[in-house]
Amino acid sequence: MAATSGFKADLLAAIPGLRAFAMSLSQNADRADDLVQETLVKAWDKQASFQPGTNLKAWLFTILRNEFYSQMRKRGREVQDSDGIMTARLAVHPSQPGRLDLEDFRKALEQLPEDQREAIILIGASGFSYEEAAEICGCAVGTIKSRVSRARNRLQEILDISGEADYGPDAIAAQVMGSTVG
Amino acid sequence: MTRQTSGARNAQPNRRGDGDLLGTNSEIGRKLKQYYDELVSDDVPDRFAQLLSQLEEAEPAQQKD
Repeated sequence: MAATSGFKADLLAAIPGLRAFAMSLSQNADRADDLVQETLVKAWDKQASFQPGTNLKAWLFTILRNEFYSQMRKRGREVQDSDGIMTARLAVHPSQPGRLDLEDFRKALEQLPEDQREAIILIGASGFSYEEAAEICGCAVGTIKSRVSRARNRLQEILDISGEADYGPDAIAAQVMGSTVG
Repeated sequence: MTRQTSGARNAQPNRRGDGDLLGTNSEIGRKLKQYYDELVSDDVPDRFAQLLSQLEEAEPAQQKD
């Protein structure tokens, strides 16, 4: 029936975004594609429960996210939460002063706890509103806001971008090593 | 398409309310989009389209009438 191919076409169109989100979450290409595959199968099975006219992308992202966390639990991997970890952060110094390399950014993003990373991706890159992101993550809007804010601050710290203050790697290195500069 | 040249100060503030934390003018905001756009524009392997075709053949959707 025509309705069927419509749903299929919508799923096809959603795949690039799903893969990007899956990559952002898992930081691994093979796992990301497995996640997308699982998501498509689940979405297909559950399509009767999708309300036409509502946000398909958000619905699919929710399925993918649930799959990601349930796989993590199966692996016995403790789900990171933002409190209490990452106290020891590794600074990534931009290879060129003033120019933030994409690779540096990727490394910095990897260092974020999952909940912060997903929040900042959903809001800052996938184009969801705070309300949609809260629904996808099954938490309060305020929680998403605070995760985004902490993620941003953490990235700024890791990448040595600190608002207007224009101190580079040297200033930090000097502090850390207690060197006698100045 | 929606590529913004760096340094272009956007008059449109925050389309989705992300401006308060991740302004499009902020370095983090820009890098985030660049990182993600690169992932989105990645070529999609054929296996996904094949998978959907298999699903469609196996179980034609829209069972409710």
